[in-house]
Amino acid sequence: MSDLLVLGLRLLFLALLWLFVLFAVNVIRTDLFGRRVPASDVVAWDAAPPVPVTRPRRRAGRRLPSQLKITSGPRAGLTVPLGEGILIGRTPDALDLNDQFMSTTHATITLTPTGYVVEDLGSTNGTLLNESRIVGPTPLTRTDTLRIGRTTMTVDK
Amino acid sequence: MDDVVVYERRSVASFTLVVFALALGLGGYVLVGLNQDGQPPADWPLAVAVWAGLGLVSWGVVRWRLPYADPLLLPCVLLLNGLGMAMIYRLDQATNPPMQSGRLQLGWAAAAVAVMLAVVVFLKDHRRLQRYTYLWFVLGLGLLLLPLVPGIGFANHGARVWIKLGTFSFQPGEVAKIVLSIAFAAYLTEKGDVLAKAGPRLLGLTLPRMRDLGPIAVMWGISMLILVFETDLGMSLLFFSLFVAMVYIATRRSSWAILGLLLVGVMGFLGYTYLGHVRVRFQAWLQPFSNYDQNWQIISAQFGFASGGLLGTGWGLGRPYLTPIAKSDFIAAALGEELGLVGLFAILLVYLIIVARVLRAALITRETFGALLAAGLAFVFGLQVFIIVGGVTRLLPLTGLTTPFMSQGGSSLISNYLLLGLLLTVTHQARKPQAQIETDEFSSLHDEATTAIPAVAAAGVRTPTSPSSASPAPTRTPQVTTPAPTGRASDVDAPTQAIAPQAPFGGDAP
Repeated sequence: MSDLLVLGLRLLFLALLWLFVLFAVNVIRTDLFGRRVPASDVVAWDAAPPVPVTRPRRRAGRRLPSQLKITSGPRAGLTVPLGEGILIGRTPDALDLNDQFMSTTHATITLTPTGYVVEDLGSTNGTLLNESRIVGPTPLTRTDTLRIGRTTMTVDK
Repeated sequence: MDDVVVYERRSVASFTLVVFALALGLGGYVLVGLNQDGQPPADWPLAVAVWAGLGLVSWGVVRWRLPYADPLLLPCVLLLNGLGMAMIYRLDQATNPPMQSGRLQLGWAAAAVAVMLAVVVFLKDHRRLQRYTYLWFVLGLGLLLLPLVPGIGFANHGARVWIKLGTFSFQPGEVAKIVLSIAFAAYLTEKGDVLAKAGPRLLGLTLPRMRDLGPIAVMWGISMLILVFETDLGMSLLFFSLFVAMVYIATRRSSWAILGLLLVGVMGFLGYTYLGHVRVRFQAWLQPFSNYDQNWQIISAQFGFASGGLLGTGWGLGRPYLTPIAKSDFIAAALGEELGLVGLFAILLVYLIIVARVLRAALITRETFGALLAAGLAFVFGLQVFIIVGGVTRLLPLTGLTTPFMSQGGSSLISNYLLLGLLLTVTHQARKPQAQIETDEFSSLHDEATTAIPAVAAAGVRTPTSPSSASPAPTRTPQVTTPAPTGRASDVDAPTQAIAPQAPFGGDAP
C-alpha cells in the first residue's frame, strides 16, 4: 500500500471514531429532557404489576377504606358502605345523620383515583375534618376524623 | 391536561450506533492486516461474521426485552470491546509465530455477551435483587476468598487473586465487585436515612449509630482485609472507594466524601511507609527514569505515547509490543501509541459517555435501590478506568486493574458484560413510561392533591350572595389547574368533576 493511502486510512479511522462520539453526544443532547406528553396518552409498556418491596408494616396504609363509621352523635354505631361515594344530607337519597346542624345537601364523599375525597356542598354549619373547616375537596383517609354538627365519623376498612 | 415526561426508545439511533461501533472495531482489525501485509487478515470473513453477529444479536435481544434501555450503552461497549480485540490481535502479530489470544478473546466475548443476554432476558427488573442483601454479602465474600483456597487459587504477577478451574483461570474479585455493589445498595436503601439522621454529633458531623453502620462496616472490613492479604492494591482501592461513594450517595452528606479522601491519603502514606511494593509503585510514578530495569514497563509506555504523538502511528505500524503486559494492563498505552492522543481521547470520551448515561439513569430512577445501584456501579466503573488509565499515563501511581471491555482476559470481560446487563435493566426501568402512578402509602394524603386544587371552586361554594343552584356549578367546572410538574397531579381533576353533577343544592335549612 502506498504511504498516502496508509495516511489517509489512518486519518479516516480517527475521523470516524470522533464521528461516533459526536453522534453519541447528539443522542444525549436530543434525549436530555425527554418528551412531554399528556398523562392520558401514556400506556404502560408492560402491564405487569411492580414487584412489591417487602414493607409489611406499611401495607395497611395502602388499602382503601370501604365503610364510613359514625362514632358519635345521634346515629352513633351506624356503618355505611362507601362504594363509589355517598351524599350526606336530609334529601331522601342521602345519608341522614339525624343531626339538627346538618343541611339538606351537606357534603359528599367521592372515590377518586387517589382515594376518597370529602367536599362540603355549601352547608350552613360546615364540614370539619380533624376539627378544621374544609374548603374545597379534601382527601379523607383512615387517620382522619370527619365532623358534621354533633356527629363524628371515620372511614375504616 | 397534565404532562408526564417520557423517553424515546431511540431504536434507530441505537441500531445505527451499534453498526457503527462494530464497523470501527472490525476496521481496526482489517487495518492491522492492510498496514502490515498489504492485505486483510487471513480469516477476516469469519471474524467479521462472528463479531457482527454477536453485536446484532445482542442489540436485538436488548430491544426485545428492554426496549427502553439506554440506547448508548450497548454501542459504546461494543466499540470499546471491538477496539480492544483489534489491538490484542495486532499485538499477537508481533510474536513469531503469531499468538492466538485475539481469537481466544473473541471466544470470551461471545461467552460474556451470552452472560449479559441471560441477565437481560431473565432479570427484567433489578428490584428483585434487593431482597437478598445478606446473601449478596456472603456470596461476595466467598468470591473474594476463593483465591485463598489451596488447590484452586494461585498467584500471578504478585497478587493471589486467581482461581484455576480445569484449563481456565478466573479472577473472582471482578465479579465480587458487582455482587458487593448490589449488597451495599440493598443495605443502604434500607438504612440510608437512618445512617444520615440518627446518631450522635461530633464536630458538626453526624455519626451513624453502630447498630446501623455495623453490619455493612464489618462486611466491608473483611473484604478489605482479604484484598490486602492477597496484595491486590487496585482492587482494595476500588472497594474502599465504592463503599465511601455509596454511603455518601445514600446519606447525602459530603462529610463522608471528605472523610474517604482523607482516609485514602492516610492509607497511601501508611502503605508508602511500611509496604515495600507500594514504595516501588510511588517511585515508578514520580521518578521512573531513576531505575530503568525496575520501571521498564512504565518507561516503555511513556515512549510509546511519545512516538504515537497526536495522531498515532496507525494500526499495526507502531511498536506497542515492547511494553510488557501490553494486552491487559497497558492496552491504553498500546492504543495511545497507534491511535495517538486524538484516538485515546475519543476512547476516554466513550467511557465518559457510559458513566454519564448510567448516572443520568440514576437521577431519573424513581426508587432508591435502582438509583443507588446505578450510581454505585457507574462510580466504580468510572473509577476503574481513571485508576488504570491514570496509572498508565503516569497521572497516578500504577495499580494493576483491567481496562474495562478492552483488556485481555475472560474474567474481566464476563464481569463487565454482567455489569452491562444490570445497567441496561436499571436504565430500562428508569426510562420506561409509567402511566400507572405507583400508589405509595397514604397516597391520598399527597400534598399535591390539596394544594393544586384551585380556590375558585371553594370560593364559588362559599359565596354567601349566591346560594342558588345556578351559580356554584359553572364556577366549579372550569379547572384552572396550574401546569403541574409531575404526572401525579393529574388526579386532582377527578374529584371536582365527579361532584359537579350534583349541583342542585344550596338551600341550607338547618
